[in-house]
Amino acid sequence: MAAAGKNVDYFTVEVIQMALLAMGDEMFTILQRTAHSPLIFETLDFAVGATDADGEIVAMGNGVTGFLGTLDMAVKDVIAKFTQAGNLDTDDIVLLNTPYEGGGSHLSDISLVMPVFDQDTIVGYVVNKAHWSEVGGMDPGSVTTNSTDIFQEGLHFPCVKLCEGGRMNEALVEMIRANVRLPDMSIGDMWAGVSALRMGERRLKTLIEKYGREAVLAAMERLLDYGETMARQSLAKLPKGTFTSSDFLDADGLGNGPFEVKCAVTITDDEFICDFTGSHPRVPGSINCSYVNLASRARAVFRAVTVPNIATNGGMYRPLKVICPPGTIFTALSPAPTSTYYESAIMALDILWKALAPHFPERLSAGNLASTASIGVTGNDPETGEFWYIFGPFVGGWGAEVAHDGGRGQFCAANGQTFNIPIEITEARYGVVVERYAFHTEPGGHGQFRGGNGVYLDYRVSGDRVMLAAGVGRHKYPPWGVAGGADGSYSYVKVIRRDGSEEVYGKISRIALEKGDLIRLATATGGGWGDPAMRDPMRVRDDLRDGFITAEVAREVYGVEEQDG
Amino acid sequence: MIRVATDIGGTFTDIVYYEHDEVTDTVSQVASWKCDTVPEDLTSGVMTAIDGVGLSPSEIEFFAHGTTVVINTIAERKGAKAGLITTTGFRDVLEIARGNRPDLFNFRFRKPPPFVPRYLRREVEERTNHQGEVVCPLDADALSELVAFFQGEGVEALAVSFLHAYANPANEVAALEALGRLWPEVPVVASHQTTREWREYERTNTAVLSAYVSPVADRYLSTLESRLRADGMNRPPYIMQSNGGVTTVGDARRNPIAILESGPASGVLGAAALAQAIGRPDVIALDIGGTTAKCSLIEGGKPAITTDYHVEANRENPGYPVKTPVIDIVEIGTGGGSIAWIDEGGRLFVGPRSAGANPGPVVYGRGGVEPTVTDAHVLTGRIDGGNVLGREGGGDVEAARRAYAELGATVGVTAEEMAHGVLRIADVNMENALKLVSINRGHDPREFALVAYGGGGPLHGATLATALNVPEVIIPANAAVFSAWGMLQTDLRRDYIQTGTARLDDADPSRLEGAIEALEAEARDGFSAEGMDGGRHVVERAADMRYRGQEHTVKVSLPGGPVDEPAIAGWIERFRDAHDRLYRIRLDVPVELVNFHLTAYRIIAKPPIVARAIETAPVEDARIGRRRVDFGEAGMHEVPVYERSRLRPGMELEGPAIAEERGAVVLVWPGQRAEIDGFDNFIIRTGE
Repeated sequence: MAAAGKNVDYFTVEVIQMALLAMGDEMFTILQRTAHSPLIFETLDFAVGATDADGEIVAMGNGVTGFLGTLDMAVKDVIAKFTQAGNLDTDDIVLLNTPYEGGGSHLSDISLVMPVFDQDTIVGYVVNKAHWSEVGGMDPGSVTTNSTDIFQEGLHFPCVKLCEGGRMNEALVEMIRANVRLPDMSIGDMWAGVSALRMGERRLKTLIEKYGREAVLAAMERLLDYGETMARQSLAKLPKGTFTSSDFLDADGLGNGPFEVKCAVTITDDEFICDFTGSHPRVPGSINCSYVNLASRARAVFRAVTVPNIATNGGMYRPLKVICPPGTIFTALSPAPTSTYYESAIMALDILWKALAPHFPERLSAGNLASTASIGVTGNDPETGEFWYIFGPFVGGWGAEVAHDGGRGQFCAANGQTFNIPIEITEARYGVVVERYAFHTEPGGHGQFRGGNGVYLDYRVSGDRVMLAAGVGRHKYPPWGVAGGADGSYSYVKVIRRDGSEEVYGKISRIALEKGDLIRLATATGGGWGDPAMRDPMRVRDDLRDGFITAEVAREVYGVEEQDG
Repeated sequence: MIRVATDIGGTFTDIVYYEHDEVTDTVSQVASWKCDTVPEDLTSGVMTAIDGVGLSPSEIEFFAHGTTVVINTIAERKGAKAGLITTTGFRDVLEIARGNRPDLFNFRFRKPPPFVPRYLRREVEERTNHQGEVVCPLDADALSELVAFFQGEGVEALAVSFLHAYANPANEVAALEALGRLWPEVPVVASHQTTREWREYERTNTAVLSAYVSPVADRYLSTLESRLRADGMNRPPYIMQSNGGVTTVGDARRNPIAILESGPASGVLGAAALAQAIGRPDVIALDIGGTTAKCSLIEGGKPAITTDYHVEANRENPGYPVKTPVIDIVEIGTGGGSIAWIDEGGRLFVGPRSAGANPGPVVYGRGGVEPTVTDAHVLTGRIDGGNVLGREGGGDVEAARRAYAELGATVGVTAEEMAHGVLRIADVNMENALKLVSINRGHDPREFALVAYGGGGPLHGATLATALNVPEVIIPANAAVFSAWGMLQTDLRRDYIQTGTARLDDADPSRLEGAIEALEAEARDGFSAEGMDGGRHVVERAADMRYRGQEHTVKVSLPGGPVDEPAIAGWIERFRDAHDRLYRIRLDVPVELVNFHLTAYRIIAKPPIVARAIETAPVEDARIGRRRVDFGEAGMHEVPVYERSRLRPGMELEGPAIAEERGAVVLVWPGQRAEIDGFDNFIIRTGE
């Protein structure tokens, strides 16, 4: 293929590459704008891409960091099962969500893969993966902390054809419709994914018609080589050595925990090796993740310290190696529950970050909330009786940096171009009244530079028979400080009953609430950087004026007295 | 009498004008002029321009003005010290924003800071629910304490933003009244005055930015008005808004954020007016300047409007949302001054960095060393290197060649090959932007004409049209100052958008009709409050709709007339068609209406755009020379060069050809044909 590509001039390759990248953006927009799940259109919990015939990513549009390593694996699964058996045709679409192989993460994340043919030859694939709000299972919304095996978590699709030669597999669609709580939403999401694939397929075919197969394949290959070159050049400049860290996951949602996890990052001239050996074995609750997701998080950190600003492609990961024995909390095997897999996956990312942060101050901040801090609230509309369901990630504090305070009220690094749900929309749609959405001053995050403040979000329950679930990490082990900076504050969910009694939770589900009860989500303040005694007193006074710290903290931690007037 | 448009840009202040003979209702040729913008005294540039072309303000019958004062005040952070008053519990909404982080792998990400720091964000007890019921009236007493605090802090402008004010602004109105009484010297902007759409962060930020720019805009607008009046102008000046219409000075002072994007909007509006005049209501407007290229789609003579607009947003920065209506423009960082560069991995990029006006392209000889798009045009002969900038002795073509030779050497090609390649990449960047407004929104470019203007539009127009199979390129006369001309074609325009979600399958028609009528009454009252009851008014209805369960909406224009069940069924069909065209999906799901969008125009009487007589003079009369131009794959050609101003209606020519005017070059490819129409447009037929 390389020899063939030699006939294609440099500028034509550039032009095709630009078209491939534009195609990724276009598929992304279509899926976002037509999806029915808030997790897709608002949280952007999805990714789209195109691969070459070997399943290597050549263009990708993603809204969150977590899906980096998963699209190519989904395509490779399809290649192994269908392409190699000669069983994949034009206009076929394959659906898969197995967590343990392919591009799976948890059953809610559905991947769709479509081959792109030029005459009788597959020249590439288009693929997307999105979090459907419903795939059935034991709890509404399908994401649960109650499961003890995968069979409780919803519909499980082991790489099956959704569409054959352009004809939808109606039996499969009917099975989906019958097994999910919000069928219009799930089927709507399915169509959004299908139309994004078909648009991508059409665009890639148009490129081949315009420039010829040889030129398009050459452009794909050179794009992968480009990614590798950029990553290797950056790798060469990094400090070499082995960097280690460890931390704890609070709980698994079933009353077990904490669980220790570890990593060692070895950077050599041509490799970036992430070794998670020694991490806790798989746990009974649903916070386990699989190897694919572990690798995906390692890719995100690798990107952050090498090539954060170039378009994603498979070539850039060639120097990366991810090691972890099977059967751990990071490399769970069937039938381990994985419904809230993102909590361990985020922790994998966070301990890599923690190992490297002191050595890469120009790229990495101190520890952040490191959790989606998700809560789920369900109920029925008192007038229409319709089922409603709030589920989502929430914002918290980011860690301080070597010369700057941390960001306040941002989604954790596992999210990205994720949007919070406006209060005015929350109140119109769900049976809660929002009473506060504001920064808090819980203790933590002190330093020469302060961690960003976490947030209080108060929901007053306005309907009856409302249920609460929470999957809040960093509840017992706060975000970490760097270089003498203090750790951040803790995340938690507090229920304040009408009678004034209070309950505090980290990971919990099926808490019954009544009208008038208050749910308070408190998300962590990020870790500090540097000795608090070194903080400029002017900054402390500004913090005080702005109410980011209390007078007591100013005095006791920073030694600054409040000034009159 | 004279009709004048002035447009203040960062570098130049443009003036475009023509004479209007009211007796015969005929108009003279359009004339234009430009002078340097004076940053410290912007309005003086306007007076200089009027003086410079020898106009007397007393002769002016219509005066429209576009200005970058608002966008510059924001960009340079030179606005007022602003305070914000919110509902208790929500002062941090402005800073939390949407929590998003577009720069995914930047693990030191921080969102851009809000325009009001936390200590100047204060709360009051008040509450309206999502149905628009006031559940807690405003505590007006608390406001006097806040005013005392803000006065002590030296605050110069205030924004007020309460939850659900889009549904019922009563508490915001009460706050405006109380603040006007307590502290009349300071401008106050309430969120409902900027938009009546839901989403509290976006609405709050819009009100904050409007307050932030308010004192600066206020000074600017009142100075302009009084200077014009002092010099004898006895007509009210009109100010260009982002929505493609003009408004009165008084209205602009109340909500100055609405004039944020007045410059780009007037160009698109000009393209729309031109398109209608020549009977081609479907066009794509393309404006190529020194730093960026902007494009916008015009269907049925109407530019698309959006309220999903962010200042300073890019792939790394979420920017700041502004919810006032803006003409929907896609802008990319590729223009004439854009710098070409190759990264460590060997990929070629053009822009977004620009050599700007200073030092400018290498060929200007003012110290620029990095190769730009303009330099590539010079090396291919498309721009005459001997005549850039009208410099004595011509531009430094050899320096441009050296810059390209150096860049080309890194990938093993000659300077000329590199220049060609850079033009290809620049064209693909622009082609992708044009696709975003056309193909990606379900429009077939073959059904559109391309209106190309700005300094670079005439040079790239034919290339881009060919790539997109657009059959016809329309290059207006005075292409470089076409945006200012667009302002001469405007009417007063106001947009009223109201969120009120309703399922249409079981909607109560009388309730929907009531909502529309309320907006129509508001529009009427708005005009009559400014003494504009008379004249011709036009009202257009549209709605933002979606399938139930979706979040994103599609804007659909609605017919006038009574609202009954058949009418609503018609709305639903219009939505389904529009959704299908955009996304290729038609769903069997109930349809929801989210916002009504009413646009009210008060038509400004203006002379018609009339075609001039076709002449029979031979095109050779306009020829001023020949030069060699490199068309890349289409070969090297000896090309006739025409003087644009000597090309008369009816003249025809065949490509390859070049036509030159001040500030712009028209390029016609081999095999293409061109003609001058009765409106002095240079029409290129691409043969597609």
